[in-house]
Amino acid sequence: MGSHVIGRVSEIKPGERRIVEAEGRSVGIFNVNGSFYALRNSCPHQAAPLCLGAIKGMTMPSKPGEYIWDREGEILRCPWHGWEFDILTGRSIFNPHRTRVKAYNVTVEDQVEGHASPTITDDEDDESVETFHVSIEEGWIVLHI
Amino acid sequence: MAVTASEMAENQGIRTGIVDCDVHPSPVNIDEIRSYMPMPWRDRFRGGGRGFFGNPVHGSRLDSTPPGGGPPGSDPDFTRTQLIDEFGTAYAVLLPRAFCNVHPDPDMGTAIAAAYNDWLADTWLSKYNQDGVFKGSITVNIQDPAAAAKEIDRWNGHPHFVQVMTDSGARAPLGQRQYYPIYEGCVRNNFRFAVHPGTDGMGINVQPSPGYPTHYIEWHTCLSLGFQAHLVSLITEGVFERYPEFGITLTEGGVSWLVPLMWRLDAEWKALRSEVPWLKKAPSAYLRDHVRLSSQPLENPDNSRHLVQILEMMDAGSILMFASDYPHWDFDSPTHAFPRLPDDLHRRIFGQTAREWYRLPMSDDEGVDA
Repeated sequence: MGSHVIGRVSEIKPGERRIVEAEGRSVGIFNVNGSFYALRNSCPHQAAPLCLGAIKGMTMPSKPGEYIWDREGEILRCPWHGWEFDILTGRSIFNPHRTRVKAYNVTVEDQVEGHASPTITDDEDDESVETFHVSIEEGWIVLHI
Repeated sequence: MAVTASEMAENQGIRTGIVDCDVHPSPVNIDEIRSYMPMPWRDRFRGGGRGFFGNPVHGSRLDSTPPGGGPPGSDPDFTRTQLIDEFGTAYAVLLPRAFCNVHPDPDMGTAIAAAYNDWLADTWLSKYNQDGVFKGSITVNIQDPAAAAKEIDRWNGHPHFVQVMTDSGARAPLGQRQYYPIYEGCVRNNFRFAVHPGTDGMGINVQPSPGYPTHYIEWHTCLSLGFQAHLVSLITEGVFERYPEFGITLTEGGVSWLVPLMWRLDAEWKALRSEVPWLKKAPSAYLRDHVRLSSQPLENPDNSRHLVQILEMMDAGSILMFASDYPHWDFDSPTHAFPRLPDDLHRRIFGQTAREWYRLPMSDDEGVDA
C-alpha cells in the first residue's frame, strides 16, 4: 500500500494511457481530458488485459431507435469481450453496482521525494519567495494503491 | 500449473494438458490461399468474409494481432505464445474460416475449400506443427455433396486432420439425404463432421429465423437456432441409424439449449414415433454415441450453480468439450470461463472426451493444468 511516481504529467497526454507494474499488479493510468485515473489491468469477467482496450465514448441511454453518442474518451472497452467500463470510476456500464474493476486514486504532485522538482516556470531569482508556479504539465503523476 | 508445449513434446508423444476444440488459424493474406488455387479460380477468387453482421465492437481479441503484423491467428509462434503455452494446451483443433458455402457457383465453393485444405495441410499441419499440437479440419463445400465427398477422400490417412467441417449456414437442414455423400465420406475416412457458425442467411443460404434480424446481437445470439434445427433434423432423419459410425461436433453453437430441446424432442417422439419409425430409441439417447458440443461461448448465468446443474442435466461429462475460439472476440479462457467443477467432470470436458472423440493419444495424467 503505497504511492508510486508514474512520471511527468506531460508524458501521458489526454486520451493516452500507460500500463505500469506496481506492488505486483498491472495498472493502467489514463489521462481523460487532463485528469488522471487508474484501473487494475484485469477484467473482472475473464481476467483479460482490460487496460489495453479501446478508449471510446458510448451510446447513452435513449429511446428505441435513437442514438446519443456521448462521454467521448471516458469509456474503456475490454479488448476481449468488449465490456464497457467507466474509466472515471471503474464501474461497468451494463451493471455499475455489481460489475466493476478496481479503481485507484491518482494525484498530481508538485514535488515528490526522490524525484527532481518540477521545472520552475517563473524563473525570477528572488529567494525571498518560497513558492513558485508549476504548470500542471510539469507535475508528477502519483498512483496510490 | 500449466505445462508448456515443449515440455509436452518431450514426453514421448503422450501429452498432458487440455484439448481446445475451436481455434482459428488465418492465412497471412488472401494471396496465400490463392497461391494454392489452380486457374481460373486463382484469378476469380477475391476473398471476402461472410458479408453482413460484422461485430460492431471488434471481431477478434485486440491483443491477438501478431506483433510482427498480419491478421489475428496468422502467426503460429504468437498463437503458441498467447494460447498454447499460456494455457498448457496439448492439442488445438483448427477450424479455418473459408466461407465457401455462400457461393452460387458450386465449383467456386469447392475450389475455395480445396485451397484452404492444401494451405492448412502445408502450413499449420506441417511447417508450423513441429510439436504436433495442431489438429485440422477439412473444409468442404456442402452445396456440392459429391464434390465434398471427393475432397474428403483426398485427405484419407492424413496424420493431423481429425474432422470435416462446414459452416452452419445451409439451404436445408443437415439431416436431409442430399448431404449423405458427405457423411459417407466422413465414415469411410474416419473423420468426425463439425458444424461451426457462419454464413447463416448469407449468400445462397437460408436465415434460420423469421427473416433477417436487425442487429449483430440478435444474429449472433440466434446462431443457436440453426444448430437446433440441424440437430433435430440429423436425429429424426435417422442419420445415426443409417451411419452408426458417424459423429458430429457442434462447435460454437451454444450449450445450455440442448437440455430443454431434447426434453421437447423426446416428448414429441412418444406421440409421433410412428412418423420416424427408424428411430430405435428416444432421440436424446443418440447424443452420447454421435454428438459432441464444444463449450464456447459458454452461457454464464448470474448464479453459476444453475450452469453446473445444466451441465449435469446434459451429461456434460460425456458430450461437452472445451473450446476457446481463439483469437475471436468471445474467447473463453480455459482458466476463467467455467465455474468450479468436480475434478472428474473437469478432466472430461478439458481433454479426455475430446481425446476419445478425435482418437488422440490418451494421457496418464489428465487435467494437470486445471
